[in-house]
Amino acid sequence: MSTTAAQKFLQDAAVKSADLMHREVIRRGMESYDAAHLKGRARINDWEAARQKCQEIKREAINHLDRYLLQFEEKITARGGHVFWAANSEEACTYVKDLATRRGVRTVVKSKSMVTEEIHLGPALEKAGIKVWETDFGEFIVQLREEGPYHIVTPAMHLLRGQIATLFQEKLGQKIESDDPAYLMAVARRVLRQAFFSAEMGISGANFLVADAGVIAISTNEGNGRLCTSVPRIHVVVTGIEKVIPRLEDLAVLWPVLATSGTGQGITTYGTLIGGPRRPSEADGPEEFHVVLVDNGRSQLLADAEQREVLHCIRCGACLNICPVFRHVGGHTYGTTYPGPIGSVLTPHLNGIKEFKHLSYASSLCGACTSVCPVKIDLHHHLLQNRRNATEAGATKSSERLMFRAWRNAMLHPSIYALGGWSMRKALRIVYGLGLAGSILDPMRVWNRYRSPVPLPSESFRARWRKDRAAN
Amino acid sequence: MPQTKETQTEKAQTENPSRDQILQRIRAGLRTAVLEPAATASDRIIFAPIDNPLERFQHECVSNLMECALTADSAASARRLAEVLQSLPEGEIFAQDDPSLRRLVELAAPGRSIRWSSQGAPAEASQATVTLAEALIAQTGSILVTASCGGRGASVIAPCHIVYAKIAQLVPDLATALSRISQERILDHNSFACVISGSSRTADIEKILVQGAHGPRRLVVILQTGT
Amino acid sequence: MQRKVSLFVPCFVDQLLPEVAVDTVKVLRRIGYTVEFPEDQTCCGQPAFNTGYWDEARPCAEHFVQVFKNADIVVCPSGSCVTMVRTFYPDLLATSSLRDDAITLASRTFELSEFLVKVAAVTQVGATFPHSVTYHASCHGLRELHLRDEPLQLLRHVNGLKLIEMTRYDECCGFGGTFALKFADISAAMGNSKADSVAATGAEFVTAIDPSCLLHLQGILGKRHAAPRTIYLASILAHDGSTQKSAAQKSSAQETT
Repeated sequence: MSTTAAQKFLQDAAVKSADLMHREVIRRGMESYDAAHLKGRARINDWEAARQKCQEIKREAINHLDRYLLQFEEKITARGGHVFWAANSEEACTYVKDLATRRGVRTVVKSKSMVTEEIHLGPALEKAGIKVWETDFGEFIVQLREEGPYHIVTPAMHLLRGQIATLFQEKLGQKIESDDPAYLMAVARRVLRQAFFSAEMGISGANFLVADAGVIAISTNEGNGRLCTSVPRIHVVVTGIEKVIPRLEDLAVLWPVLATSGTGQGITTYGTLIGGPRRPSEADGPEEFHVVLVDNGRSQLLADAEQREVLHCIRCGACLNICPVFRHVGGHTYGTTYPGPIGSVLTPHLNGIKEFKHLSYASSLCGACTSVCPVKIDLHHHLLQNRRNATEAGATKSSERLMFRAWRNAMLHPSIYALGGWSMRKALRIVYGLGLAGSILDPMRVWNRYRSPVPLPSESFRARWRKDRAAN
Repeated sequence: MPQTKETQTEKAQTENPSRDQILQRIRAGLRTAVLEPAATASDRIIFAPIDNPLERFQHECVSNLMECALTADSAASARRLAEVLQSLPEGEIFAQDDPSLRRLVELAAPGRSIRWSSQGAPAEASQATVTLAEALIAQTGSILVTASCGGRGASVIAPCHIVYAKIAQLVPDLATALSRISQERILDHNSFACVISGSSRTADIEKILVQGAHGPRRLVVILQTGT
Repeated sequence: MQRKVSLFVPCFVDQLLPEVAVDTVKVLRRIGYTVEFPEDQTCCGQPAFNTGYWDEARPCAEHFVQVFKNADIVVCPSGSCVTMVRTFYPDLLATSSLRDDAITLASRTFELSEFLVKVAAVTQVGATFPHSVTYHASCHGLRELHLRDEPLQLLRHVNGLKLIEMTRYDECCGFGGTFALKFADISAAMGNSKADSVAATGAEFVTAIDPSCLLHLQGILGKRHAAPRTIYLASILAHDGSTQKSAAQKSSAQETT
């Protein structure tokens, strides 16, 4: 019998939770982020007002999604760009694959795009015999390791420099002299430069689709995204339909907020705006420009009155960074394109509640994610709603519902509740008295695996109260 | 190549089988009523006002690991450009084909091999690029370049990018710069624009900052205050 | 006006940590309040609600509302249980005939430190506790009830108490209700990280406004045979300097093997 996603999650979580080395690497990475993030927030005069503004911008965009998408499409098309609306992963991949084939593309350079991970574009192109180079440094590293990105912003944060040096030695066919990060970057630069200047197609994502200006906006630091969208003769953008914003001026607050939440920077090094293929008078640039708008379940979320705002996400990664569950199990454990709180909220909607509800339960509902989300998505309450949706869809075990029915019946009758509590304490005292704590007879054995047993007072509070009252 | 609205729609329908379906789903979804909280007071100040844009720009350049050289006149600018170019290895320089840059580069590096943007994209092995900018932004220590500033590759291909700007081009903040782009329809006349706030960098290994990734390692702004 | 409060005792406090409620009563009486305990109360419904079984949680919530309908003020020694009533009852009981009662009850229900500082307006409750203590900011109290400073104000006014700040004091301890059992490995890992932060302060005690966090931490620390002990906030405040068993002696008496 194959493992379900939930079973795999539990297995991987068990391994990672015990991996103290992994925990230390992540702790250091997150500590660095925390410090940078605080500095970044201090640059903004009124952080709460900034969050509020970003929430309002995204809300306006999503609540008029059709209007803004059409405005965007009109402008792109008027400049000679192509806009393709893909209902799902297959349609999106087929479009790009067919385009590449028609144009004789043999090599693709790709800058970071979580949507391309979601639709599995890389493998689809590779199957068609096209070589795909991940050019974001972190993505380049995990591509060599044949694993997915660990984090939506810093894909290789789970690796130490020594591991990366060894990886390069193994996979790049050249002697690696050092594990110094600057040296390793220089190696990658040399390798990828050949790709940038020989690839026929560059694929990028988009952080925002600006409706009034009719441009895509990409926020990057490395320059790989810049090269992917400048050198090859074809530029394809793969983006979710929800990335729209109404106005160019909205970037005045979105760009600094995205950078602050993503990395702690005041703004990312490159804020690129592209509205079409090169114009005849321009010195260079792609001759063809395509934007693939991917739905893949997003339009369904619009109808969800409680959770439509989940589409406001700007993919900054702040919720991943602060989440204590993420910090203890890491990004790969989730087994989904989008890990962390946003992934746990979103994945049941994109990939089915039956298979992915467990992610909404794998949370202590601490609410830290909600407190940092720059667009004020009520993430932890959406996790609660997903749990309710799961039970209402009949996706949870019927034995669990029966158990809670019995529990409810007890709670509606104070005397049954009191008797139940007394019996439980009595039974546990007997089990522990016989030295059977942790055995199959111990109802608290899961608790006792990692914790010393709970206290078992001989009297409940209410019994004491009644006694004290009778005495006076 | 511009298209009429009818041919656009026809084309869209034949080559885009899911387009209408997706639009329908979006419209159906939007019919669900969602509680809208009240909008907040718009008088809250998100970014502190900038009293001294030049000072702020210089300060941000330092944090951004950019070099900002103030020069009094074009002779001083030429000298500064000469210094920077001399510090680089031998090799071709790419420059935006603009009269002011032609003059400047001639003064600064008479013997140097120059490729002009009118000839096309920068060569992969260019040692540096020299361009103008559309504007400078004090708030974030940024330069705004467009395709008219020598093309897309001009600000990313070479390991050193040198920008020649005048003080009048300095605007206080992002909002002003973006508003200017909209008002002057800069994105209708240019297929590309970019707000650049430093040298290229990465922190993908152990969150350690490495300056100089795929783009320039050095970004130099020669900011001329006089004529 | 008579100063009277109704005590809402979380089910797990009633059964496993009765001293939490005993000490809560002690403190309330010391500052001049009469405490009544409606004996028909059982559970606020949070376990079912948090697991997604809202239909099963609803009758429990309705029972709760009925029990406390006539209470002027309800005080509870638990941030998470108060959150259930204040934040979630209005939604959970949206279609119930008791909806309006639930809404007004929510506005009269307080977590203990919140009640002391904001309603009774006292920060000095005459407590003496000459030990080093570090504070863990329980998630519900912090992020749902927005109680950041109130517990600290109370601790700062305790005679002889040395308050030591721990790093990441607002990071979740990992209890999370049924999460502790369903995702035991993650819960324990989070608990151990929290225990590391506690131990790093060198404090003798760790306290919080949520006894469920402390129950979980007590178990984690106990398994490690670590030195720090857990103690609920009211149990610190209940120490008035008179001759009584020290908290350290009390805690070890309650530990089972």
